[in-house]
Amino acid sequence: MSSLTPLAPTPVAVRAPARRIRVRRGKLVRRIGLNAVALLVFAVMVFPVYWMVATAFKPGRDILDYKPHWFPAPATLSNFTNAIHRQYFWTDVKNSAIVVVCVVTLSMVVAFLAALALSRFRFYGRGAFIVLILGVLMLPLVALIIPMYITMSRAGQIHGLNWVLGVNKLSGVIVMYMTFVLPFSVWTLQGFMRGVPRELEEAAMVDGTTRFGAFVRILLPLVAPGLVATSIFAFIQAWNEYIIAYVFLQDGSKQTITVWLASFTNLHGTDWGPLMAGATLTALPVVVFFVLIQRRISFGLTAGAVKA
Amino acid sequence: MAAIRFTHVIKEYAGGTLAVDDLNLEVAEGEFVVLVGPSGCGKTTALRMVAGLEEITDGEIRIGDRVVNDLAPRDRDIAMVFQNYALYPHKTVYENLVFGLRMRKVPKSEQRRRVEEIARILGLEEMLERRPAQLSGGQRQRVAMGRAIVREPQAFLMDEPLSNLDAKLRVQMRAEIARIQQTLRVTTLYVTHDQVEAMTMGHRVAVMRSGVLQQVDTPQRLYDLPGNLFVASFVGSPAMNLLDVALEREGGGLVCRSGGVEIELPVDIAARRPQLEQYVGRRLALGIRPEALSESSTDPDAPRIRGRALLVEALGAESLAHVEVNAMALDRPELVDVSAAQAHLLPVGDRTATLLARLEHDTGVKPGHVVDLAADVRRLHFFDLDTGSAIPVAGVPVTAAVV
Amino acid sequence: MAVAESEFPLVSRRRRRLSRRRVGSALAPYALLAPTAIVIGAILGYPLYLLVRLSFEQYGLFELVRHKGTWIGIHNFRTIFHDSQFWHVVARTLVFTAVNVTLTMILGTAIALLIARLGRFMRLLLTTGLVLVWATPVVVAVNIWRWMVDYEFGVANWTLTKLHLGNFIHHDWFANTWEGFGVITAVIVWGAIPFVTITLYAGLSQVPQELVEAAQIDGARAWNVFREVTVPLLKPIFIILTSLSIIWDFQVFNQVWIMLGERPSPDYYVMGIYAYVTSFRSNEYGLGSAIAVVMVAIMMAATVVYIRQMIKTGEVR
Ligand SMILES: Nc1ncnc2c1ncn2[C@@H]1O[C@H](COP(=O)(O)OP(=O)(O)OP(=O)(O)O)[C@@H](O)[C@H]1O
Ligand SMILES: [Mg+2]
Repeated sequence: MSSLTPLAPTPVAVRAPARRIRVRRGKLVRRIGLNAVALLVFAVMVFPVYWMVATAFKPGRDILDYKPHWFPAPATLSNFTNAIHRQYFWTDVKNSAIVVVCVVTLSMVVAFLAALALSRFRFYGRGAFIVLILGVLMLPLVALIIPMYITMSRAGQIHGLNWVLGVNKLSGVIVMYMTFVLPFSVWTLQGFMRGVPRELEEAAMVDGTTRFGAFVRILLPLVAPGLVATSIFAFIQAWNEYIIAYVFLQDGSKQTITVWLASFTNLHGTDWGPLMAGATLTALPVVVFFVLIQRRISFGLTAGAVKA
Repeated sequence: MAAIRFTHVIKEYAGGTLAVDDLNLEVAEGEFVVLVGPSGCGKTTALRMVAGLEEITDGEIRIGDRVVNDLAPRDRDIAMVFQNYALYPHKTVYENLVFGLRMRKVPKSEQRRRVEEIARILGLEEMLERRPAQLSGGQRQRVAMGRAIVREPQAFLMDEPLSNLDAKLRVQMRAEIARIQQTLRVTTLYVTHDQVEAMTMGHRVAVMRSGVLQQVDTPQRLYDLPGNLFVASFVGSPAMNLLDVALEREGGGLVCRSGGVEIELPVDIAARRPQLEQYVGRRLALGIRPEALSESSTDPDAPRIRGRALLVEALGAESLAHVEVNAMALDRPELVDVSAAQAHLLPVGDRTATLLARLEHDTGVKPGHVVDLAADVRRLHFFDLDTGSAIPVAGVPVTAAVV
Repeated sequence: MAVAESEFPLVSRRRRRLSRRRVGSALAPYALLAPTAIVIGAILGYPLYLLVRLSFEQYGLFELVRHKGTWIGIHNFRTIFHDSQFWHVVARTLVFTAVNVTLTMILGTAIALLIARLGRFMRLLLTTGLVLVWATPVVVAVNIWRWMVDYEFGVANWTLTKLHLGNFIHHDWFANTWEGFGVITAVIVWGAIPFVTITLYAGLSQVPQELVEAAQIDGARAWNVFREVTVPLLKPIFIILTSLSIIWDFQVFNQVWIMLGERPSPDYYVMGIYAYVTSFRSNEYGLGSAIAVVMVAIMMAATVVYIRQMIKTGEVR
């Protein structure tokens, strides 16, 4: 802007900055345009989530009004109290928690070992195993549910198996969740492990540890953030799962929170306020964890695909 | 302290790469041996086999009088310095240094004493509580050294420990490592592809090429009496000039001819290499180090090589002249170190070769000038064109050319 | 200093006998993989085998109780291949997948390119918004959209009417299949955009700046830089994302199922729903399995593309 001060008296000096201003103005217009588009995209993407939260806080008469009330004012917590006092809410939250904790713990232990093999050893059949892991990730759950159901209903009749497997058994669901959580965890973990240079373990071995000791003392602490990220992702997958729980947990007191939420309408008519409150509560743990790990996960399935 | 001894060691990787082929080498107790060679020649592989990080396909490695082929790294009592240091990023400097002692169950008080002593020697006292990420490159290098020293092992193994440092620091650490090795007298096997490191640090230098050991000797003898064309072209910077010459008898003496260049060999020189007689009428490779060439004015009796200066590089203490001469350059890439050879040979015409000459710093030679170079006939090297082996000098023991 | 042969006596040239340590380290990876292999074999391998077997069996309620199917060869496949509804469902699923994937990739890419051109603040704002959407569980997302297009009080109905795009007061979106699938597509695309966008953006920001600068110095204009540098570098990610989207959208179940109150009319059947309904509603487990087998076979193609690209880009090493 200093170009507009009278310090530049010659016509040449005035003309040149004038052109620069025009260029700048063109840039400014472009930037405003870009930001406007970005705001619009942001609004469209976030609105549904906002609408859920807003509805959850609105009193019933504001919800059931032909003209939308854009803000939850006056706000109320009654939808939330209503939701959590519904039948099975707490039982189903508890069920979800049990399932998730078991799935995450089991798959992390098992996946850690497999990831170790894939990232730290060369062996015959390694490539085939990786292809298997990736291929298995792609199997549609719907296709697996049919034979699983047959198996579970059979196992439920077999003495000695029926205390873990069978319809309406959380333990059965836990086992089935491993089908998609385990391959994913193996794949992600070995990616994290590959990021830890091998020489560190070699240095430790020369320093006097066994190979296994080097894994425990050097690799494990270094891959810990990856382990945390992977287990949170496993948590999210297990918490969000619907169809397996829907098919295998038919008893209301045995269901998980997603099934509880999906059957909200059927059981109680559509009661939008409490439904949105329940949805908000269901999404809450996931959102919190997601925000914690979001930087890492986008690389999970595609990491390193661009390498110059 | 213990000697390290390779006996007919072979390493073949799973893919079929023969990384080390029949290696025989002894690093005596307290000796500092440097392993050099171009990239990919198997230096790291050899070192890692000693450390136990790589399986040995065939042969035997001993540390002291133990065969260590099947021992785990931790049972070999050696310490290793890695190229990128491999410091444990989640441990402080102190923890990095003490790790090996803890693993070996050294008493706590002894641990502390030894780490503190090493930290003092290496000037790391101020940073014991820092993590590797908070150190400069040179400091990291010191910690890596410290981690090896503190263990008081039977032998040190170092894989290009200085290659990640800048030039100044490298010179400084080079001296420091040599000094430490001298005080501790620990058997050391040191891998590098830096010639200067090899020549200045090692008691002996072992030159490798594509998995095969070429020659092992003291730096000076390696320089003065290279056993074959590869060693001759690899050792020394700038590299040795190599010409393809025909040996002819003229009058009573021998003459090397190549294009328009003619170098007459005095009788005594020819007599020192009795085998030269067998090459009369045949071609052989003639090697002249750049410092064996000078401006003719200094030595009126020496054979002269006339050429045209293409480029004169002033290096401060001296000048390096690239001189185009009418002669045939040696064209046997399979026998020489190609990377070094190509670096100084400017485009070669059919019958012209470029010679490098170390001239006085105040030389008057300018690009385009015609110069007469005097060759010091006592410092010529002769090699067989088929095998690449040096034609030996009588009375001097055959060097360890293991081709 | 000479290395005389005698100094290094010949050791036996025979390949050394395998020592305990060598055998140990050769077996270690297999031992580490064993638990995963067993779990995958037991909970995936067996059901997969059973799925294929079931597709060749008559397996209804009677067999479910008896726990034993009756082998009927390719009869199930013959039945579905002669069933016009099956072909409708297949065609519907393919079109539905194509539309969803196309929309997801176009919008996702556009937003990624937009983000790359934004200032710090707006970029942060938009990515935060995307992460929020990404984090929303499918079951929750479907319920939100169901509420937004509610017959009476849907905010979408009101807004569209206000924008004079027609009269949507008391409009049942699911009465018409096209509109119904439109809403379902909206949920799917809305939910899928964040993953695509953020992954592509991560890829975009990894495009080395020197390359862009080198191209600019070579005289390339913005569009050319994009075409010659950015696109080729992003192509592998793009292929991976597209094949993943195809895989996910082809097997869509939850969005349709919950959106339609767990009892969709046959007009809304996509393959996943069809296989499910045939098995669990009509209790024709054999027939359902046959449909699922066809589904897996179709998905295999996309999976092969995905895995090949992963191998090519060096992800599988
Ligand atoms: N793990 C491996 N598997 C297969 N081949 C290998 C492996 N490691 C090294 N090689 C091959 O063995 C040969 C020797 O490699 P090595 O690392 O010992 O070379 P180097 O002399 O240390 O080279 P540099 O100076 O570049 O470090 C090379 O051809 C290399 O490609
Ligand atoms: Mg190396």
